[in-house]
Amino acid sequence: MSLSTDQRNFYKGMAFLSPWLIGFTVFTVIPIVLSLYYSFCDYSLLQSPVYEGLGNYSTLVHDPIFWTVLKNTVIYALMALPLGMVLAIVVAILLNAKIAGVTIYRTVIFLPSLVPAVASAMLWLWLFNSKLGLINNALRGLGMANPPGWLSNPTWAMPALVLMSAWGIGNTVIIYLAGLQDVPRELYEAADIDGATPLRKIWHVTLPCISPVIFFNLIMGIIGTLQVFGAPFIMTGGGPARSTYFYTMYLYDNAFVNLKMGYASAMAWVQLLIVLLLTALAAWSSKHWVHYSGK
Amino acid sequence: MASRFAHFVKGLRYLMALLLIVPAVLLLAVGPRAGGALPSDRVIVDYWEKWTGEEEALLRQIVDLFNNTLGKEKGIYVRCLSTSSVNQKTLISTAAGVPPDIAGLWDTNVAQFAALDALEPLDDLAAEYGITADTYKPVFWQTCRYDNKLYALVSTPYDVALHYNKKIFHDNADRLRRAGLDPDRAPQTIAELDAYAAALDQIGPNGQIKLAGYLPLEPGWYINYTCLWFDGSWWDDTAKRFTFTSPAVVASFDWIQSYSRKLGKSAVSDFRSGLGNFDSPQNAFLAGTVAMVQQGTFLANFIHNLKPSMDGQWAAAPFPSVRPGLNNVTYCNTDVFVIPRGAVHKREAFEFIAFVNRQENMEKLCNMHCKISPLAKVSDDFLNHHKNPYIRLFESLAQSPNAHAAAPVPILPEVGEELSNMVQRIALLEISPAAGLADIQPRLQKKYDDFQARQVRRRVMQTK
Repeated sequence: MSLSTDQRNFYKGMAFLSPWLIGFTVFTVIPIVLSLYYSFCDYSLLQSPVYEGLGNYSTLVHDPIFWTVLKNTVIYALMALPLGMVLAIVVAILLNAKIAGVTIYRTVIFLPSLVPAVASAMLWLWLFNSKLGLINNALRGLGMANPPGWLSNPTWAMPALVLMSAWGIGNTVIIYLAGLQDVPRELYEAADIDGATPLRKIWHVTLPCISPVIFFNLIMGIIGTLQVFGAPFIMTGGGPARSTYFYTMYLYDNAFVNLKMGYASAMAWVQLLIVLLLTALAAWSSKHWVHYSGK
Repeated sequence: MASRFAHFVKGLRYLMALLLIVPAVLLLAVGPRAGGALPSDRVIVDYWEKWTGEEEALLRQIVDLFNNTLGKEKGIYVRCLSTSSVNQKTLISTAAGVPPDIAGLWDTNVAQFAALDALEPLDDLAAEYGITADTYKPVFWQTCRYDNKLYALVSTPYDVALHYNKKIFHDNADRLRRAGLDPDRAPQTIAELDAYAAALDQIGPNGQIKLAGYLPLEPGWYINYTCLWFDGSWWDDTAKRFTFTSPAVVASFDWIQSYSRKLGKSAVSDFRSGLGNFDSPQNAFLAGTVAMVQQGTFLANFIHNLKPSMDGQWAAAPFPSVRPGLNNVTYCNTDVFVIPRGAVHKREAFEFIAFVNRQENMEKLCNMHCKISPLAKVSDDFLNHHKNPYIRLFESLAQSPNAHAAAPVPILPEVGEELSNMVQRIALLEISPAAGLADIQPRLQKKYDDFQARQVRRRVMQTK
């Protein structure tokens, strides 16, 4: 039986694709499907799962820690996401200017993104140290007698983590920079002829032109902030008094510390639904503020 | 021209393929083997241990000793692998059916792992090797058991005592004497501890703590068991009930909160957040910023290694209790050996565990780690040549009827998290201990009852 060229190409393509396809199926698709099943089970990983219907979801609703971590995560997202996005746009616009040494500035802004998460967490632990930290020393230098205890104070621990998150905006800045390079020069020239101020040019030309990039970063930001884990896990362990205990940390604790894999799976699916809902909301709203040049 | 270029590209392709294939084939043929250095005529026992650095190096001496003596004789070779998050990796490998033969866990894992059928019971093997309750100090034998079965054996244990800085006591002798306290001895009751702490505290003009006599939260590693020194316990093992709201437990947490009330919640949290890491010379006790700490036997090792100038300038004493007559109270903690369910070389694994638990080997390991011996019988050599100059005190504390271990509760991690959160809240004066304990009592009891109900349901299903 001879195969046609198209068939041969198809099989060749599949053969080359198969390592990824098999890996994706085994390590992603099957675990996702199984986690949905486990979310309806009592499952400790060590014993076979026992189906218990909506038991985990019902427990979740009545679990006060679940609501605490959900609230903390939403507050963190509401603080970190706008701050990160605005800061990244401002920095990108500044770095888009034709000034001497701009490449060096771009490198400096991007550098923190290359630092491993654990290393940057350790670094910030020292920066936030209430006695020896650079931040409090600077505040004392500015005349503040009792600067905040940052990570030891429930009021300041969350803002401290938000502040730290702004340090890693390098990746986002690079994406904005790429978007800014694509803004047509003639639009700025037209705005100049119309007598627009720099701020008006940003508002009426730059932002609409890079709105697809903003939309992309918004979606990534929603997903990223709702899954915050590494920095608080290392720096605060969720404390003090659960003030920085986030959704993914509680999920992790349930899965690998309390060995409640079924409960953790239910939490993961609720998290997925929340992310899906917010992403859908952002996508729906995008038709009002995202402008594609091809349209 | 085009044809020559096509030939060149084709040749380049072959060259690239050759460059990839030849090293791969060479690596497969003569490259390193995972078990390359392992003796082929012995049973390989895989042993995962949490320790790293110096502690791991010291343990390897015992492993090598086994491999070169009894292991050689019996055809067993222990392959020791230092493993971070060993409890989680043991759990996952056990679930996957490929566990190590031995895992070095913490005592707090025993009840949880045993209740979830993750561990092999060791009663038969222990009996076969003559290891019985009499072999151990009672507190450690109990630690290794859950639901009337033996699931672990001790590797290196410690107990806690009050460590005090004699130099700070000496430097502040006048202040202590003015407060009616003897600068040449440790406090013996909680009230005395408070009086010593108050006399030693040095507070700055803005209320900031410069030197703390004592702080329950520094380092606070055993804070959840403070009730032991108040003659209480938050777990009734007979009734299988939590007793968080019992007067002794509430009193112990009231005492913890009293330090925030006395010194100021912000002053305490600011002071603590400015302290260095435990295993560094900036450790509060080593740096001389806290005069008294509740800590384990091993602290002597850290003092000697990180601040040798402090050798001889500190002392240890039983941690004070709430009332005279309640003597030698301590909390005992231990690392344990377990054989995960499904381990392939169970008997050979136990051979190694039993070897470590021989008196001479156990004493060697425990001395190297600067810990006490879990065994009932302790040699004079161990006591006379131990790294900790107060080893006799620590040994006697562990032998005391008032020596206690972690509660055998299978949901211990959840209990620990709830208590830790509550302690932070009471230290920040957000809640009274009575209210906090009343809040967690029903929640944790329900979690425990639900856990047991699920286990019963599971067993019923398995028998059907």
